[in-house]
Amino acid sequence: MRVVIAEDSVLLREGLERLLSESGLEVVGSCETAEDLLLKVRSYVPDVAIVDIRLPPTHNDEGLRAALEIRARHPSVGVLVLSQYVEVGLAMKLLADSAEGAGYLLKDRISDVKDFIGAVRRVGNGGSAIDPIIVATLLSKRRSNDPLVELTPREREVLELMAEGRSNQGIADTLVITLRAVEKYVSSVFGKLGLPSSGSDSRRVLAVLLYLRS
Amino acid sequence: MASVALAPPADTGLIRAPPKPLLLVAIALAGGAAAGFAVVLALTSDHVREPEVQAALIVWVILAYVLAGVIAWWRRPESRLGPLMIAAGFGTFVSMLGWSNNELLRTIGQTLDFLPPILFLHVFLAYPSGRLERPSERVIVAAAYLTGIGLGVVRMLLGGFGPDSVFKLTTEPGVADVVLRVQLVTSAALALAGVGVFVVRRRGTGRPLRRSLALLHDSFALALVMIAVLAMRAALGISGFETIQRITFFVVGLAPLAFLVGLLQARLARSAVGDLLVELRADPAPSDLRDALARALRDPSLRLAYWLPQFRSWADLDGRAMELPSEDSGRATTLIDRDGERVAALLHDPALRDERELLDAVGAAAAIALENGRLHAELRARLEELKGSRARIVDAGQNERRRLERNLHDGAQQRLVALSLELSLLEEQLGADSHASARLGQARREIATSLEELRDVARGIHPAVVSGHGLAVALEQLAARAPVPVELNVELVGRLPERLEVAAFYLVSESLANVGKHANATSATVEVARTNGQVVVEVIDNGIGGADTERGSGLRGLADRVEALDGRLRIWSPKGGGTRLRAEIPCAS
Repeated sequence: MRVVIAEDSVLLREGLERLLSESGLEVVGSCETAEDLLLKVRSYVPDVAIVDIRLPPTHNDEGLRAALEIRARHPSVGVLVLSQYVEVGLAMKLLADSAEGAGYLLKDRISDVKDFIGAVRRVGNGGSAIDPIIVATLLSKRRSNDPLVELTPREREVLELMAEGRSNQGIADTLVITLRAVEKYVSSVFGKLGLPSSGSDSRRVLAVLLYLRS
Repeated sequence: MASVALAPPADTGLIRAPPKPLLLVAIALAGGAAAGFAVVLALTSDHVREPEVQAALIVWVILAYVLAGVIAWWRRPESRLGPLMIAAGFGTFVSMLGWSNNELLRTIGQTLDFLPPILFLHVFLAYPSGRLERPSERVIVAAAYLTGIGLGVVRMLLGGFGPDSVFKLTTEPGVADVVLRVQLVTSAALALAGVGVFVVRRRGTGRPLRRSLALLHDSFALALVMIAVLAMRAALGISGFETIQRITFFVVGLAPLAFLVGLLQARLARSAVGDLLVELRADPAPSDLRDALARALRDPSLRLAYWLPQFRSWADLDGRAMELPSEDSGRATTLIDRDGERVAALLHDPALRDERELLDAVGAAAAIALENGRLHAELRARLEELKGSRARIVDAGQNERRRLERNLHDGAQQRLVALSLELSLLEEQLGADSHASARLGQARREIATSLEELRDVARGIHPAVVSGHGLAVALEQLAARAPVPVELNVELVGRLPERLEVAAFYLVSESLANVGKHANATSATVEVARTNGQVVVEVIDNGIGGADTERGSGLRGLADRVEALDGRLRIWSPKGGGTRLRAEIPCAS
């Protein structure tokens, strides 16, 4: 899997390069500005671009804008945005109308090497990776007549993992239950929330996030 | 009443004492005598046709100028116009000595034949101060004296006044006739130049405020035109000279009459000061003072300037600095002092200079009210200054906070993440079973906790999401984390100025926190919209209301934030009726 990195902190950029190479991914380019990132993505067309949300020169929204541009122009390139803070509004802005090949994680996550590499691979393969904090925030959001109270604790766990972008197999591995059991929980959750059961994992992510956000 | 001193007007110099009444009476009597003598001269003359008509016209002109001059000198001692008009009256008389049968008197009269039109021109151009203010006017008048009197003397020396004339050196009637024609053409040209001066003046200052003044100017111009016509006809030898001459004399005599009417109206205008005093007793708001003064002065274009000593500047009522108009701007300035301190300036139509007493009386009557206006202007100026410095302090504080947050983000936070990653890679190398690996894991969790705490600190210092991604994005997180269900309606196109976004963010953040702490509400609505040059932020809950707007609950701090941006915060919180908080912040689009 081929990766491009845009991160303006040298320390982190080098750490990321090492982490990814040691995990068997190929870092085909790394840079520190949004402009360079777009150039590298255009020339290398990697499987995934890892983008710091705050990039020079102003450190405002350059990273996010570059990420959105890659998603619009190069649909085959997955984009994983890293940030020191994760916000619901930014997640929704990044996903817009598709969670396919999109990820948004707190920067801290890179030190959970196995999880992080899993997320990079997922996004590179057209899946999604949404930070647990985003999911937790949305799940804790106050609603009148909240249908979430209907869920059993296990169903809630399955919903969380679904929203993070994990596949059924991923959920089964995490919760140490059978794939069959996961499928049962998933359809039960969809039934209780009144959501139509949808196709791919990333479609499922968007549907769940939009549901939780409203 | 406090003593009121008026600064001497800049344009008229020192105020002179009026002449002694005895002198004025003597002048009036002398004028009457001169008129009587002119009548005798006309009736006894052996070379005046229709002497009765000529005598009547001369009496009309002499009396008009001498008497109007006496009154002008009495009422307007600071103007030289009075003496000048008196001189014009007697000058007319002197030129009429030409009617005399006595050779000496006749020669003097004929030599000074052009004196009256020159004096009329002088009077007209010197109105109202009695001085020739502009170089062009001085040139015209000087040229008139030179050709009128100088060439008159030349004609006399050439024997131009007939065989009996005294003081002649030679007898060259042909040459003298040429000189006469030169005189006639020149005086016609100078009279028309005088008309030109009036046209230019009118263009500069506009039509005078009062009908009587307009009439006066028109009578001046008409008299000058008539003089020019008269001179041209005489120069060309066209018949009908006498009719034109009579009409001219009549018109010339109208000018002082128009002047007297103007003086009378000025007296009447002063009754407006009485009305003004009544109005001022009702203590009008400073903003109404201008209108009251404009009515009293009958000058709708009147403006007031207040002197702010601390700022060493003139200012309008709202404390905005302004300049007094320059002398040639077509506006006149009257300074008003009170107890020796400069208070204000009236910026008025220059035509009001003719009504010095009215200006003085109005200024004196309104001095206290103007002092109030001055204090008002000063207060506003200080308030503006304060607002400006408060906005600068807010900006400086915000910039400093943003810098701090940025340093945290680029420094400690990045380093801790990198450190955590380093430990994690080390952990991988050591393998899962080792004791060291467990301790590394423990250290990583410590770092994660530190990062979390650091994030909270950074967020508290400055909401980076707001500056980075705008209010709408940042509010979504607030709504998601709010203690009650929140309906969020943000109607904004594009970004707002950053300090406004940050203020609105804190406003919503604090308000939603208050809803959780005090309101006992089950839902809330947040609305942000931009309308009519302002941003409106509303946070409404359905709780128990009764929010204490005076103390606690951070409401004072929120109001400070909003007011620092020149906005205002209002809160409705009736007991049992929910709480509605509305901030309106000006925002130029």
